[in-house]
Amino acid sequence: MQFNDQIDFVRQHIKKNKLRVFMTILAATMGTAFLIVLASVGFGIHDTMRNEILDNRLVNQVEVYSSEMDQAKVEELKKREHVKAVVFRQSVSINQQTELDGFIGSHNMTVTEFQEEAKVGFALQEGRLPENKHEVVVGSHFAESLIESETEGAEAEPSTYKQSLIGKQFTYKMGLYEEKELFPEETTLTIVGIAKEPAKDWVMDTNIYADAAIMPELNRIFTGHVEDMDSQLFYGNVNVYADNLENVTAVSKALKDEGYSVYSIADQLEQLDVFFLAFKAGLVFVGTIAILIASIGIFNTMTMAVTERTREIGVMKAIGASPKLIQRLFLMESAWIGIVGTIIAVVISYGVSFIANLVLPIIVSTALGEEEFTSLDITFSIIPWQLVVIASAISITVAMISGWRPARKATKIDVIQALRQEL
Amino acid sequence: MIQVQELTHSFKIGKKGKERQVPVLKGLSFTINEGEVVSIVGRSGSGKSTLLHILAGFLKPDAGIIQIGNVRTSAFSEMESAKFRLDHFGFIFQNFQLMPGLTAFENVELPLKLAGVAKKDRRKKVQQLLQLVGLTEVQDHYPNELSGGQQQRVSIARALITDPPIIFADEPTGSLDSETEQDILLLIQSLNKTRGITFVIITHDDTVAETADRIYRMHDGELTEGGVHHAI
Ligand SMILES: Nc1ncnc2c1ncn2[C@@H]1O[C@H](COP(=O)(O)OP(=O)(O)O)[C@@H](O)[C@H]1O
Ligand SMILES: [Mg+2]
Repeated sequence: MQFNDQIDFVRQHIKKNKLRVFMTILAATMGTAFLIVLASVGFGIHDTMRNEILDNRLVNQVEVYSSEMDQAKVEELKKREHVKAVVFRQSVSINQQTELDGFIGSHNMTVTEFQEEAKVGFALQEGRLPENKHEVVVGSHFAESLIESETEGAEAEPSTYKQSLIGKQFTYKMGLYEEKELFPEETTLTIVGIAKEPAKDWVMDTNIYADAAIMPELNRIFTGHVEDMDSQLFYGNVNVYADNLENVTAVSKALKDEGYSVYSIADQLEQLDVFFLAFKAGLVFVGTIAILIASIGIFNTMTMAVTERTREIGVMKAIGASPKLIQRLFLMESAWIGIVGTIIAVVISYGVSFIANLVLPIIVSTALGEEEFTSLDITFSIIPWQLVVIASAISITVAMISGWRPARKATKIDVIQALRQEL
Repeated sequence: MIQVQELTHSFKIGKKGKERQVPVLKGLSFTINEGEVVSIVGRSGSGKSTLLHILAGFLKPDAGIIQIGNVRTSAFSEMESAKFRLDHFGFIFQNFQLMPGLTAFENVELPLKLAGVAKKDRRKKVQQLLQLVGLTEVQDHYPNELSGGQQQRVSIARALITDPPIIFADEPTGSLDSETEQDILLLIQSLNKTRGITFVIITHDDTVAETADRIYRMHDGELTEGGVHHAI
């Protein structure tokens, strides 16, 4: 029998029992949709948590701590295998004040290597990089945190700096938090560039980025006022960037073996992924139970279909249909139920998922009654294609397994008994 | 064409544990030649249908050899048997055994579908046969919209569609009135003459049996060849 004739045959039978087949498909659809939607919550939460982690830091970043970090060590780190860049940032750890045209702000001085920064995404939105020790680049939110000194303390809204920053000079002063007066020494710095905004829009970058050449000058001011030999003006942190995600673990492990304290987001992600793999597998398992329940319906429908058609199957066999063909026709019928049920379920699941992501955040934020939750970035449900594939495979396989016994039963029908049945 | 040697068969009857064997066929040997119409006549319950079921491969005999052409069909598996039926046998049953969900046309077409003949090659052949049995007018009717005679013609067309060399007919006129019976018997005669098909007709009715070239008489599980015993 040709394949299209087999399809025709199956279709004709299904048409004859529309309602019964419809109800069976409905059950299969509900089971499969339940599985997909349930598991999609696992995927949604996993994704939300991953993004939460990834948004804050870079994945291929390894934070390295060492009590005696210096430029020599940094140079050594740069030469290691699979290391793309080593960013050695040193920040001033005491009180700081900047003043520009009567606007005052408190910006943090960070000394870094611009070439290394550029390798891992540091870029300018305006201007150029510093060429001498008194030229600096400022963060994208520098101007917003410069506040007009006259309005300070008044009832009026404090006004911030609105004009272009490029080429402007400002004075930079330091002081101790525990003392009211700042150190009297002023350093005059020129803004030559403005850094690009950070990727995440809630991150404010108000830093002053300078070249390491400025450090001796600032250190001299610091030691002029602070006697304690143990205290330092600059505190450094080193971030090593692996050339790609796969090598992060290798790089961080090698550093750990050499006695560095390291922290990388990749390690944390790995744990998260393992946890969620188990979590999602659990959800798929629970969903599969729903499909198994639906499969009872398929089993019943197919058993009835075989019983009803005993005489017809007998005639088919009598005129020369092979048992294999009979079995295939019935398996096709149960597979058809499974396939149609799955297709409808996938469509419904995407709909439910879409609506859930639309409505649930609103319900949650209303329930919590807090405005900040409206901006909460939670995805409740995600249906990746892998989930569709897994659910379809489970659903269609279960449908075919439950159609297996009835199909076997059909092949075993005795021709003589069947022909003897009354019409 | 069909050679049968020492064919025996018995049925187990009775409740489990207390079964007993009831012999139905007690060592039959006979031959049916190519192109003849043979009737097997006997009382109801004498084992005629059982014999046909065994010849057709629906049932495995207890012992005996069946050779059709030069193939030993008694050694077939279920699979081989089905394939052989599709290629070599046509069937006409007392209660027609048409598919209720298929039209006359589709019923006749079914064996071609099973044989894997493409749709475009089926149409013409089915129409030819429907014309031959005089059913062109009602080809789109379902079996329950046809008279008994018409239904039997559909089943004859279905039996002919794959051009089988042998057609088995089990009480082909058992459900028909005597006038229609004559039509069907004449149709069988003419198909035998024009197409050279071998017919094996099973009947309990002597007048039906008499239309055959040769008659076998089934009695008490034994088969004897003989003329028509008119009045016993
Ligand atoms: N499946 C079966 N189980 C037990 N006995 C059977 C079975 N089929 C037929 N018989 C018996 O075998 C005998 C022959 O039956 P059958 O071949 O149908 O006779 P016929 O066709 O000549 O009327 C009968 O006595 C019948 O009761
Ligand atoms: Mg009989």
